[in-house]
Amino acid sequence: MSAVAKSTSEILAWVADVFETPPEKIRPEMKRDEIDAWDSLGILTLIARMDEDFQVLLTEDEIQGLRSVGDIIEVLRRHGQAGGAP
Amino acid sequence: MAQCTIRGAAIRGVVSAVPSRRFDNFADAKGFSEDEVRKVVGMAGVKSRHMAGDSVCSSDLCQAAAEDLLARIGWERDSIDALIMVTQSPDYLLPSTACLLQSKLGLSTACAAFDVGLGCSGYPYGLYLGALMISGGGISRALVLHGETPARFADESDRSVSLLFGDAGSATALEAGGPGGEPSWAFVLHSDGSGFEDLIIPGGGFRDRFPEDRRRHCVSMNGANIFNFSIKRVPAIIQDTLALAGLGKDDIDYFILHQSNQFIMRHLAKKMGIAESRMPLTLGEFGNTGGPSIPLTMSQGDLTRPADRPLILMLVGYGVGLSWASALIRLGPEAVLGHRELRNQP
Repeated sequence: MSAVAKSTSEILAWVADVFETPPEKIRPEMKRDEIDAWDSLGILTLIARMDEDFQVLLTEDEIQGLRSVGDIIEVLRRHGQAGGAP
Repeated sequence: MAQCTIRGAAIRGVVSAVPSRRFDNFADAKGFSEDEVRKVVGMAGVKSRHMAGDSVCSSDLCQAAAEDLLARIGWERDSIDALIMVTQSPDYLLPSTACLLQSKLGLSTACAAFDVGLGCSGYPYGLYLGALMISGGGISRALVLHGETPARFADESDRSVSLLFGDAGSATALEAGGPGGEPSWAFVLHSDGSGFEDLIIPGGGFRDRFPEDRRRHCVSMNGANIFNFSIKRVPAIIQDTLALAGLGKDDIDYFILHQSNQFIMRHLAKKMGIAESRMPLTLGEFGNTGGPSIPLTMSQGDLTRPADRPLILMLVGYGVGLSWASALIRLGPEAVLGHRELRNQP
């Protein structure tokens, strides 16, 4: 999955899958506390899926900086995995 | 880089010990909803734990394991030249728990005894030190004891740790090999103290001697950082250890990892392409017992042992410190593996 950078909508669908939330409910501006499954266990799933699906390993600062869906998109963009197209 | 091969030491036996008091996470957890317990158990994989309560220290568990081990392998007490106690749950800030155990086990006063203050990475470090002492000469028999009581330093209301930890001790007998020596073992040892706050008991040491908040005497864990550390460091140290030993992944019979959390371990197995059957899990019954989870899994991980050759084991400890270490060892068919329960005191 990591060979080609994903569009924003593909990343949103991926985030929905990670947190087992209907895709239509996931928007970039959503904060962490608006997603039930993004709790202390959900963050582990997120880190694991980033590694598994994108081969992206984050720094501790990057992990602490993940506060919204937009932050997830941004961190994947920084690692060359999100293209920014809709 | 701290890595080396050491020739000349062999394991004569490993015995693990846990408290008899068994705590069922589904039936006995208090203060958590059923859904919460199901979710935590589903991820961490810990169905039950053996817990020491206030009456049992890691030294008691190690003593029980050592008594059992010595009876099984028939070593005379005065033939033991060194005792290494690896623990971060000592009886006292001082003296060393190793000195207490030298006396309790009836070992000679000519025996070297000292503590090593490492947790999750402690078992490979303990084997490294024991093997190094034997290969250096002057020491022909060493006991490496490794015990922790993490359930005793968990805050019961802290969801990130309270359903995770169990208590365990272990004893490993190391001896100089016969003429011609034993095949060499490979060790890689690492540390990164910049992550010291990710797994810490902040109070009670000399940095914060008498904290008013009792919770500062309990362990605090940043689960996300520890997980992230694990998936970065464990695959790399395994690769480095294989390269050092000149072996490939398929040459290893079992990868025995510190039993941190089922989710972490399964992710590591998948990431490294290791079949789960070659990475035994004992978390379900015992929980995360800290570093002693490695010898506990050697004895309780249902290892298939061929009669005609040694098992080649990759042992990897990782966590508090942050510290991580590996030991690629050979466990001969004659080596004793045992396990016992220690009845909790009233």
